[in-house]
Amino acid sequence: MSSQIKKHPLIDTTEPNHIEDTFDYDLPPLIKFEDHPVTEYIDGKPVEFDFNSVKERDIVVTDTTFRDGQQARPPYEIDQMVKIYDMMARLGGPNGVIRQTEFFLYTKNDRETLDKCRELGHKYPECTGWIRAVKADFRLVKEAGLKETGMLTSSSDYHIFDKLKFKSRKECMDSYCEVVDAAFEAGVRPRCHLEDLTRADIDGFVLPFVDRLMEMSRQVPEELAVKVRLCDTMGFGIGSPNAELPRSIPKLIYKLNKECGVPSDRLEWHGHNDFHKVHTNATTAWLYGCDAANGTLFGIGERTGNPPVEGSIMEYIALKGGLCGIDTTVITEMAEYMRSIDLPIPENYPFVGKHFNTTRAGIHAGGLRQNERIYNIFDTTKLLGRPPKVAITDKTGADGIALWVNEFFGLTGDDRISKIKIHKLARWVLDQYEVESRLTSISDQELETQTRELMPDLWAKYKSPATANA
Amino acid sequence: MATVEERVKQVTGRLLKIDPASIKTGDNFGADLGAESIQSVELVASFEEEFGIEMDEDAALAVTTVGSAVEFITQVCNEQGVQI
Repeated sequence: MSSQIKKHPLIDTTEPNHIEDTFDYDLPPLIKFEDHPVTEYIDGKPVEFDFNSVKERDIVVTDTTFRDGQQARPPYEIDQMVKIYDMMARLGGPNGVIRQTEFFLYTKNDRETLDKCRELGHKYPECTGWIRAVKADFRLVKEAGLKETGMLTSSSDYHIFDKLKFKSRKECMDSYCEVVDAAFEAGVRPRCHLEDLTRADIDGFVLPFVDRLMEMSRQVPEELAVKVRLCDTMGFGIGSPNAELPRSIPKLIYKLNKECGVPSDRLEWHGHNDFHKVHTNATTAWLYGCDAANGTLFGIGERTGNPPVEGSIMEYIALKGGLCGIDTTVITEMAEYMRSIDLPIPENYPFVGKHFNTTRAGIHAGGLRQNERIYNIFDTTKLLGRPPKVAITDKTGADGIALWVNEFFGLTGDDRISKIKIHKLARWVLDQYEVESRLTSISDQELETQTRELMPDLWAKYKSPATANA
Repeated sequence: MATVEERVKQVTGRLLKIDPASIKTGDNFGADLGAESIQSVELVASFEEEFGIEMDEDAALAVTTVGSAVEFITQVCNEQGVQI
């Protein structure tokens, strides 16, 4: 043990090292890997993974807001879905970073929604379907004229025997393959959703089934070849290659990719958040060879939800090192729209929560006032239209109140006023708690009223009608 | 006319609610006189008002004792041409 101890001499400097090549304030912090592959062990044999390959690979985000997302809430109205689809197209941009989104096809409303979304004429996200793996459902896909559909091919014995009541795995596999054949015959690409994969018998059912799917795919044109969605239905997936099957995400991907031969561009990860691992697991899937990471807007999905699409978008930028046509400001618009249709978003929710970049502690506000980068994750004003804010309480301090005042009057550079000039407002705030025994935070409206009263000169300069009209 | 030191002590006593006569030149505003964070800001604002000067925020807040406040204010008054 002692032989591993190493001295670490201080590298003294009078100039700060802000590590700008990673923390470029104009982008989410970049995710950078060392220039060599990592060696992991699968079944006791060394295997190399090159995480830098994500820069060249056509990794994408796929969406299931209208399918899994809608299973977790009352149905959306048709116009609401069309509006969300339209915004999703802007978010993913012309390069199709959000490559596909899937639709139910069962009701008249489902089909009308699909038609209206396609009428918008967006190239991306491509519209795909979702059906059970039964032949009768396939008629719906054909009628809708879709090129691809997901189909539920549950893979664990919990589903095969206990839910779907098959008498044997062979009967189940034959049944699934019949529907895959029907898809081929109709010229539609089947996307097999390996439901409950992280609780399945991988060697006993999953790999033989995928082997058969690959064999069937070799008999059809490439554009019809089966895609495979790895569904972590209960959120059991684990990011370590050393974890045992069926829970190791790297191991599952490796076996499907290298042993069964499913190419990366036909592998997709679909996670659930039952153990708080959902976003990291989706990124892990990208890194280990799944090109598509499936998710829902704001993570809204069955039970604890799915990987949040907007989180995957930020991760995509961080991995690729650029926006690649993505319009991140749409994320804020989407959140506002969701709130307007009674879909609450927690105040501390990353990127879109009301207080995601609001600081309450005076010591943090002091940092923000000196340089917003000290306590802001990236340029949230530029990327999300959300400048960093302070919420005013007894912990805010004069620094935080000065920051609020400067933001309120829109003062920048040399025009920004010091905390000396706002001392009356700071005293009023503190007295609210020390004298009035207040227990709630102070609203922007209250501060506005006090600012007008306690700092009339400042108000006249920056908020008088003449100034406002200028 | 009162000296700079007397005026500093009067302002400090009024704001911190202590007898100006009990304030010593070497007293630390925080440790000895009990000024809290917000009161430090209020003291600087009150000195600006008392002497009719503008002080650099960071430099003013770095002053910790009554004596050094007297020196700092004297220097600022001289720089800004304010009669004391």
